[in-house]
Amino acid sequence: MEPVNLFGLAAKQAEWLAVRQSSIAGNIANANTPGYTATDVLPFEKVLDHTAVSLRATQSGHLGSGATEAGYAIRPQDYTGAIMPSKNTVVVENELLKAGEVRRSFELNTAIVKAFHSMMMSVAKG
Amino acid sequence: MIPGIGALQFKPEVGGADAATGLIPGGAAPLAGEGIASSFADALSQTVGKTIGTLQNAEQMSIQALKGDADTREVVDAVMSAQQSLQTAVAIRDKIVSAYLEVSRMAI
Amino acid sequence: MDALTAALKVAASGLGAQSERLRVVSENLANAQSTGTSPGADPYRRKTISFVSELDRSSGTSLVSVGSIDRDRSDFPVEFQPGNEAADAKGYVKMPNVNTLIEMADMQEANRSYEANLQVIKQARELISMTIDLMRS
Repeated sequence: MEPVNLFGLAAKQAEWLAVRQSSIAGNIANANTPGYTATDVLPFEKVLDHTAVSLRATQSGHLGSGATEAGYAIRPQDYTGAIMPSKNTVVVENELLKAGEVRRSFELNTAIVKAFHSMMMSVAKG
Repeated sequence: MIPGIGALQFKPEVGGADAATGLIPGGAAPLAGEGIASSFADALSQTVGKTIGTLQNAEQMSIQALKGDADTREVVDAVMSAQQSLQTAVAIRDKIVSAYLEVSRMAI
Repeated sequence: MDALTAALKVAASGLGAQSERLRVVSENLANAQSTGTSPGADPYRRKTISFVSELDRSSGTSLVSVGSIDRDRSDFPVEFQPGNEAADAKGYVKMPNVNTLIEMADMQEANRSYEANLQVIKQARELISMTIDLMRS
């Protein structure tokens, strides 16, 4: 396996986290919309496994098919709860938990990038 | 000098911080601790080796963290020790360069 | 449009939809006792609101908006109030089909959703700010 570029990987994860944040935002905004199915992104490991493959083809029009520029497919979330009469599958608490995870990962990501960036800068200085 | 740097990297070694004051071009500061270097060049390459080691460790831990399976505290510790050893190495490099310039400016 | 800005956009649409919902709920609550003005006239009929989501091409998100504001078609309850100006021949007055408890519960739900959307906006804004901070030394 070829060496992984740290900054490249961090950029990819940051993008993935942003797409996940937009999917969470869509779910929370549509928590009361009848017939809306909650969405989520593919796990990051899966994204790394097939970076070259575009996953656009799997998305149909009625789901949020956007934010797939980088191939992070947004697909309907697996739902194991009770079926509501409105057929809405959003659980706001879970969405807020996911949002917390996104925030923590994002903080770690930016901290790592900042640390390595300043190390590079200090080496290159005078 | 070398054990002094080691002392800065979480591992208190014999010789401690006092040995770090002995950076004299061509001077022979008493060396203690692991692997007594036989010459200044060897001592220097030991330092560089250690620095590279911590840097690589930090990079590995960070990549694991980005992929999602690493303990946060370990990652933070690894990155911090990399920053410390890099800072030290850069300081040494700057000192060596300025010492060389000073020597080269000496009247023969 | 980058994903974080898209998150802001869709959360803002959520805020708009939930505040419309709150407006309808407060109208219902305010008119919970509003009877008609002439004998046998109909009182205030409860309003209901429903949301729709549509895919927004530029952001790639499903923006939510108010689909329609309808009237609740259920029957009016009647109360015996012979002195009321809207009382019919037998002294019964038709009262609005607003159940205060249901409206209060709906209001709490709307508040909760509003807060959640606000939380999303706050977080998206902070993530953007963290990204920009990378450039600062």
